[in-house]
Amino acid sequence: MAVGRSTGEQGLVEAAQRNPAKFAALYELHFERVYAFAASRLRNRAAAEDVTSEVFHKALANLPSYEWRGVPFAAWLLRIAANGIIDHAKRAAREFPAPNDPPEPAANLELQASELRAVEHRAELFRLVRQLPEVQKQVVYERFVEQRSIREIAQRLGKTAGAIKQLQLRAVQNLRAQMEGDRG
Amino acid sequence: MAKRSLAMQLDEVVQAMLMSLRPRPEEAPDRELAALTRVAQALCDLPRQEFRAALKSDLQRRATMSEGTAATKTGEAQARAVHYQRPGLTSITPYIIVRPAAQFIEFLKSSFDAVERLRMPAPDGSIMHAEVEVGKGAIEVSDGNEQYPTAPAAIHLYVDDPDATYARTLQAGATSFHAPTDDHPSGDRWGAVRDPFGNHWYIAKPRGWTPGPEGLRSVQPYLHLREAHQMIPFLETAFGAEAMGVHKSPEGIVHHATIRIGNATLEIDEAHGEFQPMPCHLHVYVPDTDAVYARAMEAGATSIDAPHNAPYGDRAAGVKDAWGNSWFIATHLGT
Repeated sequence: MAVGRSTGEQGLVEAAQRNPAKFAALYELHFERVYAFAASRLRNRAAAEDVTSEVFHKALANLPSYEWRGVPFAAWLLRIAANGIIDHAKRAAREFPAPNDPPEPAANLELQASELRAVEHRAELFRLVRQLPEVQKQVVYERFVEQRSIREIAQRLGKTAGAIKQLQLRAVQNLRAQMEGDRG
Repeated sequence: MAKRSLAMQLDEVVQAMLMSLRPRPEEAPDRELAALTRVAQALCDLPRQEFRAALKSDLQRRATMSEGTAATKTGEAQARAVHYQRPGLTSITPYIIVRPAAQFIEFLKSSFDAVERLRMPAPDGSIMHAEVEVGKGAIEVSDGNEQYPTAPAAIHLYVDDPDATYARTLQAGATSFHAPTDDHPSGDRWGAVRDPFGNHWYIAKPRGWTPGPEGLRSVQPYLHLREAHQMIPFLETAFGAEAMGVHKSPEGIVHHATIRIGNATLEIDEAHGEFQPMPCHLHVYVPDTDAVYARAMEAGATSIDAPHNAPYGDRAAGVKDAWGNSWFIATHLGT
């Protein structure tokens, strides 16, 4: 789903404004997008988690003041995220000052179309991982997120190392096929 | 057969990514492999499922509270779902104990443009703990005490200009093992010195590979060991480490191996010539200190410190391996 083509989203936002318990639906819809944006700018898991957490807490707290004027909810969230990323970079620079090495993250509030497309693409990939067959999904999380070795994953899942490499291949092939299908 | 070979090729690419090297998909011989590499690269940023779930439940708890003011502290901590590494450190950081540590830090600054991030003095004015940034890596430093005596280390250091760096170390008081050469078996431009505190520095510039988006892991501990081949199963069992490129003689002697733990690597080889064992201290961040401590003990380590919550916000433990190296195991609990 691209930013800006959010039919029905207005209903979700208004429902959450009336009853904050309904905020969960918006979270489900936008978590991957916000995380993908934070991760792509910060290149650091801990920092991406901090910023993502901050974005949704701020969004929930400020939801009553959000006005639906045709600006997609996602754009509002990414704006909060962009501010959070700048704050994060400033904090990091204070903690670890390195005069010759200015902080990496682009201190840039403007979201370019190409960056938005890349974020959407990555968010879609993250959503697709959640729909992989269970064992493929498990291999992907163990390998890419937990960074476990093939041998360790094989032991944990009671399979051979060769089988885990095959599952890793099938999972990545599956994701690629679906991503290309989505684009086509 | 073709399928199997693609599975192995993809895994080699994934292994390189996990140690922050950037495979070059456009150079992959196989078009399918190139496309799969791009997907795999994006998967390195995949969010943790536990984080997604914990943040959701924290938001729900907050939403159902009347004014949404104070979420429970535990809920908040869980939702922040702190990553297990302390900010600024990777999975493996050498902890170098030498005296006087303050002079050693000066050596690091003048040789490598190191930046001191943190210094905690002891009551007698010595350095209890310091953290120094070297390139895109870090080294922890201390004067040590009776419990933690002097232990210099061997470090493989990646730099942009090995010749200039080598010259600066000599100016700062180091002695030369080898002037930089292009003939090193690694293929990198490579030179070696010993600093006035007994540490070895293998100063190299990478060739034939490219650092990943987080930049080059500049600091890599290098362990020269007797019976080095036995270190590999120890690290695999205790830390879930992954041996990535083990070069052995036909008799099984390890000429060189790179071992990945989390997002960092260390190197080992069989002690030889001037490269004799130098038992050292390593600070290793892991997702679960208690589990790693238990597995290390089962694999033959001896205990230095049982798992405990340290006052600086880590779950911490310590073990000594059969070679005399100390492993400070830690899980960052957040602040």
